[in-house]
Amino acid sequence: MVTTMAAALSDSTFHVVQRRLAALLPDGASGGVERPLEHLALGSAEPPRLISATVLEGRALLAHPVEGVPVARFAAFLDGTQTSRVVAHIDGVPIVHGTTAAVVRERLERRLRTWRAPRIERRVYAPLALLPAAQRRALQESGLPLVDTAESRPAESLHPFALQDAAIHAVQDDREALERELAEAWCADASGEVLVDGSLTGSEVVATSERAIGMVKSHRTLYAEGAALRAVLQLPQGHRSSVFRVTSPKRTPVASWYLRVRDPAGRDPLWGLVRIEVADNAGGRALPRRANDVSLWVLAEALPLATPDSRWDKMVYGIRDCEEFLRAIQ
Amino acid sequence: MTEPQLLGRIVATERKPNTAHEFHFWTALDAPIGIGTIVRVDGATPVGGVIPLVYGVVVEGFSYTDLQTPIHDVLGHDGTPAGAAIAPTQRTEIRLYTAHVLRQIPEEPLQPVPMGTVSLANDADVATALRMDTYLASGTNTGIPVGLYRTGAMEAPIYLDADFLLGPEAAHLNITGVSGLATKTSAVEWLLASIFTHFPVHKGSVAAVCFNVKGPDLLFLDQPGELGDADRAIYERLGVPARPFERVQYFAPYTAKGFTLNTLRSNEQLADNLTPLTWGLNEVMQFAEVLLNRDDVDAKADALIDFLQERVINREFKDPVLSSSHRVRSFGELEAFFRDLLRGLEERGGEGWRTHHVATIRKVRNRLSNISTRCAGLVTDEGTVSDLPFGSFQDRTVYVVDVASLEEDAQDLIFARIVSKLREHLERRDLGVSHVVVFVDELNKYAPGDGPDTYVRKMLLDISERGRYLGLVLFSAQQFRSQVHRRVVGNSGTALYGRMDMDELATPSYAVLSPSTRTKLATLEKGQLMVRHPHFAQPVFVRFPRPAVMRGRDGAERFPPATEPSLEAAVLRSLRPLDPSLSLDWVKRTITGHEETHVIRARNLTLQHRPENARAFFEAQFRRIVAADPVPAPSAVPIRTVPGDDPYGF
Repeated sequence: MVTTMAAALSDSTFHVVQRRLAALLPDGASGGVERPLEHLALGSAEPPRLISATVLEGRALLAHPVEGVPVARFAAFLDGTQTSRVVAHIDGVPIVHGTTAAVVRERLERRLRTWRAPRIERRVYAPLALLPAAQRRALQESGLPLVDTAESRPAESLHPFALQDAAIHAVQDDREALERELAEAWCADASGEVLVDGSLTGSEVVATSERAIGMVKSHRTLYAEGAALRAVLQLPQGHRSSVFRVTSPKRTPVASWYLRVRDPAGRDPLWGLVRIEVADNAGGRALPRRANDVSLWVLAEALPLATPDSRWDKMVYGIRDCEEFLRAIQ
Repeated sequence: MTEPQLLGRIVATERKPNTAHEFHFWTALDAPIGIGTIVRVDGATPVGGVIPLVYGVVVEGFSYTDLQTPIHDVLGHDGTPAGAAIAPTQRTEIRLYTAHVLRQIPEEPLQPVPMGTVSLANDADVATALRMDTYLASGTNTGIPVGLYRTGAMEAPIYLDADFLLGPEAAHLNITGVSGLATKTSAVEWLLASIFTHFPVHKGSVAAVCFNVKGPDLLFLDQPGELGDADRAIYERLGVPARPFERVQYFAPYTAKGFTLNTLRSNEQLADNLTPLTWGLNEVMQFAEVLLNRDDVDAKADALIDFLQERVINREFKDPVLSSSHRVRSFGELEAFFRDLLRGLEERGGEGWRTHHVATIRKVRNRLSNISTRCAGLVTDEGTVSDLPFGSFQDRTVYVVDVASLEEDAQDLIFARIVSKLREHLERRDLGVSHVVVFVDELNKYAPGDGPDTYVRKMLLDISERGRYLGLVLFSAQQFRSQVHRRVVGNSGTALYGRMDMDELATPSYAVLSPSTRTKLATLEKGQLMVRHPHFAQPVFVRFPRPAVMRGRDGAERFPPATEPSLEAAVLRSLRPLDPSLSLDWVKRTITGHEETHVIRARNLTLQHRPENARAFFEAQFRRIVAADPVPAPSAVPIRTVPGDDPYGF
């Protein structure tokens, strides 16, 4: 069961759920942790890795100056947020409360406004099979929006942290689903390009739409090795890499390239570096032109700074605005 | 009536909570709202079955973006404000306002302002917010329009309560503002017009006495002024006729020379409602204290003055020291009395008279005789009196006393006597009207917060503290309210503020106003006022129209003051209103050979008595001059002859 907005949301906030669980399982549940699990960084992040990608522009991945004057082209920005907190422990198994949300902020006359309704969901995540039967049944009959984390992604171990990681991944899936839903709605109904925070590959509709541009800020996975990697890491400001294809099983391939939006002098090699994704529709000479144009659009978003976000070197203001908006309404 | 326009939403945080007297709300960036805007809050949760309704006035505004520190903006633009590209997105920006509560409905229980929506107050809301609904009900309407409250395209009339402006509940009005912006005088002129139009009949009658203390400010109240369409619209909206005062009487003393009246309104075209203001001994002695300060008059001198007032003045007085009996009715006769008394004492070699030392007598003679010199033109030696029509004041009439060109002593005397007489008559209910508004400008001069405790200041204090029971209402104005005696301004139920000086606003008296309200006060346009009134929980800003009377400066240009005429021309000008057939030749013939002082005395008497046959009356004041006959010199008579039989010749 999934609740969306309105009254149902207020019935499934963290503290409401915490109180209901305490009433539901007076003996079986122990305390939770109010601090979001995303802040605890308990190893949920993927290990860093290098992947060699197919270069679509030329034969090798090289640096290309972005030519032209930056143009503010994006009509909207899309981002989602998630917050996971342990609401209780039952027999040593963490019960996680997750909130996921997504929004499109449309730019009208240089000001950002919400496009359609934002999406917010609150759910309880737990590996139901690991719970004692009585408590599992009580939880299932509670009416709370419940997600069985063991169903889609079995836990690697019974270590509570591993169980929490599984819950975080489940929350992440739900957040991506919300983002996907909104991005598909934009591609279907709106005009103009939307800059999506993150990858486009989760949705075929989005990944093949000319109206969606993905911008990836985290680089746990770098699509370059050897000389290509050096070229990426040494990209000067206002330069992009050659276009390559990002593929993944279960995901839709997209065309992608790295773009340095800020001068990295004196900083780490990934400072100001983003990876852009667009639909892999353009071929031949059109692809470099498309990469150049989209890069100009992204470079135009260098102002205003997305401070005080610690990722301001990579983040554009519109994406930060989405996050602030979602933080305000949750 | 316009529907409420949704403006914003109430916000409250732990750091900045709402209270029962203050709340916060945000609006869209283009919301037509600013400092002084009256808003209405519709609560969301019923209290005791009633949705709370709160009215407030905006006193502070904040604007900020999500920029955490200015350095981030510098970084974003590489430190080059001119060279930086325009950001494609504007930062999220807020307009956050703080408002002070004007009224809560229901009023009990008094709770912090609840969460809810904020909208612009419409006409009815403004009336409710300012509690004007309590005195604007038909049948008991005591509203006096003071101006229009405006915000955006919305405007609402603001009314003062006559019971709290002219008594008996509260009374008095004080107006503060920097000079030269046509605010203080204009506001009073406008408000008098409004009072004359809207003062309820069942409350009685009302007149105004205005002291013109500088230039030609109040000298053309009966002449039409220039009005723009915007001003006329305000007059129409507030139901006040856009025309000058119908009944105005001007009073001014003579110049020291005595030929003409000492006023800038001396143009012959305006002479019909200009009356001399002259007083004699009787009128002045009661207020001798105004002119004689404590350094001059000690207890001994005071005792002698009391004796003179009680035993000598206006009585047949005889004394062995005097050569004859005296009836003292004028300064001239008082001088004759002193001369006779001192001569008698000298002849007898006496050091004192009736316990008064001769030195005290000389001192009192000197000080009293000096009054007619110091107040020449106002105080006459011969006792001619021309005064305000105490006892026959008329409803909706303005009496202007021009003291602008007088010395400070004379101004004080005029002010003290006129106000005292007004008070006396109001106490006896025989003034002619039931309410009198006394307008005094430059109040910091007459009732300063520090300095000596003068007669005038004591009298102003008395009016401000007790005048409302009598219908004696003080409208006062000054540039620096902080320099006026606190009890005078404190007793003013209504206070108006025009554009203010920043130094003045920095004084503690204005600490109750928010910084933004003070800034607004420092930048008010002409025609704008901040109003405090007993019914208003918070001050409100209003706009009032330009007065429908001619500005003093314009009047002085259009009706230039008459030049100093010859004695004959001055007499003719004075007497012609009594008999238009009089001619300059007749005046010349009549006064030929007579001393200037006699001519002026004859003129003053004629004006004082206003006889049916002014020509005959004036002529009768002069004795016929008979040609002098030679007198034979008397023959010399020896004082004593020497007897013939005196052998020694003694």
